[in-house]
Amino acid sequence: MSEHLALIVDDHPTNRLIATTLLRKMGWQTHEADNGDSALELAARHDFRLVLLDISMPGLSGEKTCERLRQQYVGRDIRIIAYTAHAFPEERARFLAVGFDDILVKPINREQLQAMAQIS
Amino acid sequence: MKNRLPKFLHGIRGKLIVIFVLIKVVPLLLLAWFAWYTAQGLGDAVSQKAADMADTSLQTIQEIGKTVTADSIKALDERSREAIETLTTDAARNIARFLYARDADILQAADSDLSEAAFRRFLAQRKRTLYRHGPWRLAPDTKSWEPVESVTQETKLTRPILPDNARDFHLRPPEYLGEPEVTPLFVEMTYVDLAGNEKIKVTQGDLTDRTLRNVSERRNTFVRAETYFAELKKLKPGEIYVSDVIGAYVRTDLIGPYIPERLEKIGLPFAPEKAAYAGTENPVGKRFRGIVRWATPVVRNGQITGYVTLALDHDHIRQFTDRLMPTAERYTPIIDAIKGNYAFIWDHKSRSISHPRDYMIVGYDPETGHPVTPWLDTELYAEWQASGKPSHEFLADVPPFRDQRLTRKPAPEQIKAGTLGLDCRYLNFSPQCDGWNALTEHGGSGSFVIFFSGLWKLTTAAAIPYYTGQYGKTPQGFGFVTIGANVDDFHKAATDTAEKINTLVGEKDRQFKAQRSDLLDGIEQSLTTTAIGLWGSTVAMVVVVIFIAIWMANLLTARITSMIDGIRAFRDGDLRRRLDDSARDEMGELAHSFNAMADSVEESFKRLEEAREKAEQASRAKSAFLATVSHELRTPLNGILGFADLLRSDLQSPEHLEYAKIIHQSGEHLLTLVSEILDLAKIEAGEMQFQQNEVPLHGFLENTLAVHRSSAEAKGLAISLHLAADLPDYLQTDATRLRQIINNLLSNAIKFTQQGSVVLGARDEKEWIAIYVRDTGPGIAREDQEVIFEKFKQLENFLTREHGGTGLGLALVRQLVTHMDGQVSVESEPGRGATFTVLMPKKAKDE
Repeated sequence: MSEHLALIVDDHPTNRLIATTLLRKMGWQTHEADNGDSALELAARHDFRLVLLDISMPGLSGEKTCERLRQQYVGRDIRIIAYTAHAFPEERARFLAVGFDDILVKPINREQLQAMAQIS
Repeated sequence: MKNRLPKFLHGIRGKLIVIFVLIKVVPLLLLAWFAWYTAQGLGDAVSQKAADMADTSLQTIQEIGKTVTADSIKALDERSREAIETLTTDAARNIARFLYARDADILQAADSDLSEAAFRRFLAQRKRTLYRHGPWRLAPDTKSWEPVESVTQETKLTRPILPDNARDFHLRPPEYLGEPEVTPLFVEMTYVDLAGNEKIKVTQGDLTDRTLRNVSERRNTFVRAETYFAELKKLKPGEIYVSDVIGAYVRTDLIGPYIPERLEKIGLPFAPEKAAYAGTENPVGKRFRGIVRWATPVVRNGQITGYVTLALDHDHIRQFTDRLMPTAERYTPIIDAIKGNYAFIWDHKSRSISHPRDYMIVGYDPETGHPVTPWLDTELYAEWQASGKPSHEFLADVPPFRDQRLTRKPAPEQIKAGTLGLDCRYLNFSPQCDGWNALTEHGGSGSFVIFFSGLWKLTTAAAIPYYTGQYGKTPQGFGFVTIGANVDDFHKAATDTAEKINTLVGEKDRQFKAQRSDLLDGIEQSLTTTAIGLWGSTVAMVVVVIFIAIWMANLLTARITSMIDGIRAFRDGDLRRRLDDSARDEMGELAHSFNAMADSVEESFKRLEEAREKAEQASRAKSAFLATVSHELRTPLNGILGFADLLRSDLQSPEHLEYAKIIHQSGEHLLTLVSEILDLAKIEAGEMQFQQNEVPLHGFLENTLAVHRSSAEAKGLAISLHLAADLPDYLQTDATRLRQIINNLLSNAIKFTQQGSVVLGARDEKEWIAIYVRDTGPGIAREDQEVIFEKFKQLENFLTREHGGTGLGLALVRQLVTHMDGQVSVESEPGRGATFTVLMPKKAKDE
């Protein structure tokens, strides 16, 4: 059951809705969080396989949240994808360095997401 | 050139040290060398001078010694000569006086009573002391004769010598002439009548015959040799006749010491008593006994009635010379022929009448009454032998003193015969005979030196000034006295002195040599000391100079070094660093200038930094702004595009679906527009960052083309890739931006081409990789070809709308290509398509 559990973290409800809708269409069960701390709480309670994580959020930033998540999920199978409107190449490089597996640049591209979030 | 210098010379410090050392050390060494050279020269000169002085001094001393010796020899010789000549003339005068006294005797005798008694009285009154040596005997070793009792006279001094007289107080003992013996002067006194008959005859001693004889006949005379009666008859009253010395010749067996071994050698018996007396050589020999006869007429009543004669004992004449010694001894009791210092008397015919060797006194053969052959040289002897005449006859015709010289040899036959009477006239191997006659034949006296019998002899001669009777014929008078003396004896003192001087000179020589060598050693040592001192101090000074040079160089360069450190620190960014410019010299000036420059540089830097910071701040703000703009524009687009997409999949009605599609397309357009605006803004803000990637060209271009394949094919366009064969495998560039460029070009090509084909190609073009996109679209007019690369320029605005172009694509392409050091160009003719070519540099430009 928990194998297809995805977490969408974004402070914008619209962005969460689009991602949730697309992921559910792909077969994912989704949870949502509107800030980093809530995300970490949820992550502690569930075993997520995929996290779409916004970067610019009030409170704990996406990068910090990513680092903490990596610490929580040491040794576990999890894909953390930056879900962000920061599109400049230098920004992308920064995210990959922090620990993100991939970057999904807003505006969301359906094909891209499908490629990234394929249920294996 | 620079590299050839030793490493330490590269620095100013090393150069300074070398310069200091060169400036100071070289002159120092030169000075030291010069001083040393001079000192050495001086030393050599002093040594030379000292040696020369020593040599000269020595030479002077030697010369003085020689001169003094020579002078003293000469002085002594002269004094000796004077003394001996005086002795000679004195003896001659004494003899003459004595003979004159006999003249008086004969005249007195002529006046005396003509009776035997009167004669006897007469003779008894005429006596004289003769000195005889005592008995001598053969020494026990038989090699010489010795006195039985030797007499030595002692000096007696019985009173103190007064100080005034003490200097050179010289005392001689009484002269010892021998044992005194009062002897009658005459051996015979006769009265002869006019016929030659001896009427009265008184004899003393046994020399003459006591019987009365007729003296007109020679055979009745003494040794049958007297011929005086013939002469008597010629005498006038008062005139005096004086005969020659007449005596029997005494022969000898040999010349020299009469001792047994010498006789043995010549094979004769040892009979000294029978051989001639010869002083120390034969003190017991047979003496020559002779007489000199005086005669004068006896006048009675005015008539010569006869003649009185007196025969003088020849010993009295000998006495004058026999005791004389031309040496410090002055007198001798016995003559010593060996020593060569003795006196002779020669008669007016230059015949020996007094000689230390009696066999050398000429005498007569008592058998014949003729003179015994005198000693001849070999030549004359041979002549005589050849003549066959008796010698007295032969010699009567021989010129006297014929070619006398020392090189002649005495006749050995006569030595053997033992007849060696000396008749100077024929004694031709004794040239002094001629000399003596030369001195005395005019009544004079004198001397000469001759090398005779192995000795240098001074020989003197003085005429005996007695001119009675036959002796008045020549100024030579009675004859002459000669004294021979060894010259060496005269100046014995001088030669002794010379020896002493030589010893002294030798000592001085050694001293001088020692002093000289000391001096030279001293000079040498002094030179060594000087050398050690000189070179030692030079080396010390050189060391000091080097130290000073190093110290000074350090001092100078320390400032330079600290300056360099300061400058380096400043250069490395320590802009607050300042140099110590307190020194009031050029270095201080330099430091001061540097500080001033540093101040202005720092000021400039500060301003620059401020400007930079401001710029950075602005840039950061711009970046943040752009990022924020991008982020904030994309966030709503996410909603728009996301939901448009969802609508597209969920809507069923074609009309609604078309609406959703338009929404989506508009969103996409907006997104592109936003992206391109932001890229351009970024580029213009200088915020665009370019990566350097190793781009594998083939795969990269294939992949890039592949993205556009579906949209091209959807329009019915052929799309293909043309890669040149020589295309390199990799290109160093920013892959993302290159892809963006190609995507833009390909999108444009597909967008504007309605039918035909689109080609993406690449080829090698020298330093460039040319990437081109060729289409078969409408083409671009020449005048528009530049315009299309400007922002928001599209050929036809409708096309923009129709084709969803932003009008920013080509502008972005040009900006990107330019920033990637490349070039972009277009070739086109309207209606014939267009080719966009991008030239990317093979090698990325240096950073």
